[in-house]
Amino acid sequence: MHSVVGFAVFGVDWAFLKPYIVLGLALGGVYALSGVGLVVLYQTTGVLNIAFGAVGATGALISYYLIEHTGVPDWVAFLVCIAFGGVVSLLYGLVFGPAFAARDPLVKMMGTLALALILLGLMAWRAPIGGAFARFLTLPTSSHRFGLFGATVNWTQVIALAFAVVLTAWTTIFLRITSLGTAMRAMADDREVAAMLGVPVRRVEASAWLGSGLVCGAAGLLLADLLTSLDYSALTFLVISSLAAALIGRLRSLWLTLAGGIAIGVVQGVITPYESITRFRAATPFVLAILALLWMGRHRTVTISRTAG
Amino acid sequence: MGTGNGPAAGASWSFIDGGTLRQLGIASAFLGVVLLVVPSTLGSDWVTTLTSVAIYSVVAAGLGILYGRVGMISLGQIALLAIGTWVATRLSYATALPFPVLLLVTGAITCVVGVLIGLPALRLSGLYLALITLMAAGAVTIVFKAIDFPNGGGGFTGRTALVDLSGLEPVRRPALALGDTAYYRYAVIVSALMFLLALAHTASKPGRAWASIRESEPAALAAGVNVTVYKMWAFALASFMTGVAGCLLAAQIGQPTATSIQTQDSITLLATVMIGGIYSLWGAVVAGAFFQLVPFIFQAQWGISPNFLLIIFGVGLLQVLLTAPGGLVQQLPKDLANLGRLVVKGVRKVAGGGKRST
Repeated sequence: MHSVVGFAVFGVDWAFLKPYIVLGLALGGVYALSGVGLVVLYQTTGVLNIAFGAVGATGALISYYLIEHTGVPDWVAFLVCIAFGGVVSLLYGLVFGPAFAARDPLVKMMGTLALALILLGLMAWRAPIGGAFARFLTLPTSSHRFGLFGATVNWTQVIALAFAVVLTAWTTIFLRITSLGTAMRAMADDREVAAMLGVPVRRVEASAWLGSGLVCGAAGLLLADLLTSLDYSALTFLVISSLAAALIGRLRSLWLTLAGGIAIGVVQGVITPYESITRFRAATPFVLAILALLWMGRHRTVTISRTAG
Repeated sequence: MGTGNGPAAGASWSFIDGGTLRQLGIASAFLGVVLLVVPSTLGSDWVTTLTSVAIYSVVAAGLGILYGRVGMISLGQIALLAIGTWVATRLSYATALPFPVLLLVTGAITCVVGVLIGLPALRLSGLYLALITLMAAGAVTIVFKAIDFPNGGGGFTGRTALVDLSGLEPVRRPALALGDTAYYRYAVIVSALMFLLALAHTASKPGRAWASIRESEPAALAAGVNVTVYKMWAFALASFMTGVAGCLLAAQIGQPTATSIQTQDSITLLATVMIGGIYSLWGAVVAGAFFQLVPFIFQAQWGISPNFLLIIFGVGLLQVLLTAPGGLVQQLPKDLANLGRLVVKGVRKVAGGGKRST
């Protein structure tokens, strides 16, 4: 292990940093794609889904149990994880979405906080973390490695980053050209007006829940692999890093969210090898999110619009 | 929906109205039982748990002021409690201050920290304020994991890497409350004082200003309420109370470490306060009990892992958000009254039906 005492911008040994940058890009990809899921859901339904990480973590845990304790082929278990994210999010959206629809964003967020508590409770109760025992969920793509610019890269890392970029681009186009996307944009502007113009609001909201839920299952799966061990509390708090990404995108811009997520991952990765600050690296998303929030709040005006919260 | 329009807001806390005497009676009877009957009838593990209940109910009351009174939500109260505990531990090793002074100084320092966090956050409202407190709490957690709690060493962090810690003194307790039972009584009395402090605020001018801010910030502004000052004030009060609770907690644990306080419990705390009743100080007591006592009963008394309680808290939070904004404190009496009415009705029906049939 190298030990680097100082931190000089121009004296950086890039070759030494490469593996950390690769890992950071992959993690950043997961943060970014979860962030995109959060932003689309928030814009369409007004719900900032704090349970995002918990849903992904539960899916990953179910996937782990299917692989370890039943004879199910791995790929089925992985699909179950993604489907679980979609189904749970969709169910929550169908049952509680309408009930919370007229409430303010803070109350909507607390509703998903309740979902997160329920899922955390289920996981902690049925699958307690004990001692040195660790669970592993490894995707088959992780065993295929290749060299790239002198760093070793595995396919899961490539998929994480590529998926984030593709998802962002696809969502942007989807929102532009499809009628469902147009309906979502209309609802982001004003739910009541959209409803009056004949947009089937409940169905549009349900599809937003389903879409973001599928993304959240996929993010849980990828992160369980990238973090090397399946620690569901770490996975649950994935939501904080993706929230930070979404906040950098002002809960609005998909491309800024993508950039924010990748930036968080890379910063976190790059400071890993520096002994003096490495123990603070986990604070990266928090610090960046706080800065983003303060930046967003710099022109505070008193307003009585419904979105002011 | 305004962030709070609990029916009890204001009504049950005004000093003038007739219900006040009844409230006061209930409170003193409750305090009497808690101080005198409980320690002599229950075992020592119960007393330690109940000390935690008292401490956490003060934290819950602080959150109740922020959300129930002013409509600002903080998801970082447990992190603030951790700051209070850290400060108290550091001061206890660094100075020879008597315990009551230690309480006040810890409260004051935590108050400053809370206000410093709150100051930029004042520009944000609702959702964004909740998020920034969540993020600040996360950052605080990382810092505490890195520097850990003081254990009698030197320097700013006050931590020594000694392997043998047996010679180290724990955080001191007040001279008149060294034992667990005495300390329990001490903690309950300090908590009661904190509740009184909160009551004094909510029942007077700040309370009215907070209520007007909660209902509508522009209206409060138009009515001449200094929104910034009163929001800051609420932050300061909640942080002070949390700091005092942190000092009590430090002395109760003796040698706190980074794992003594789980800052992600802020979310559980929010759920329990909402379930207990965010608009009432009694709700804070219920929250403290849910947070510390119920898990203890499940774990130590019945041997059931308290993890599934999280599920109940989650369901309860949904229930409170959707149907019972006043929480248990308001809902339970109502439900009991309804149940009573139903029973009376049923009895009458049976009796009446009986008459007709004969």
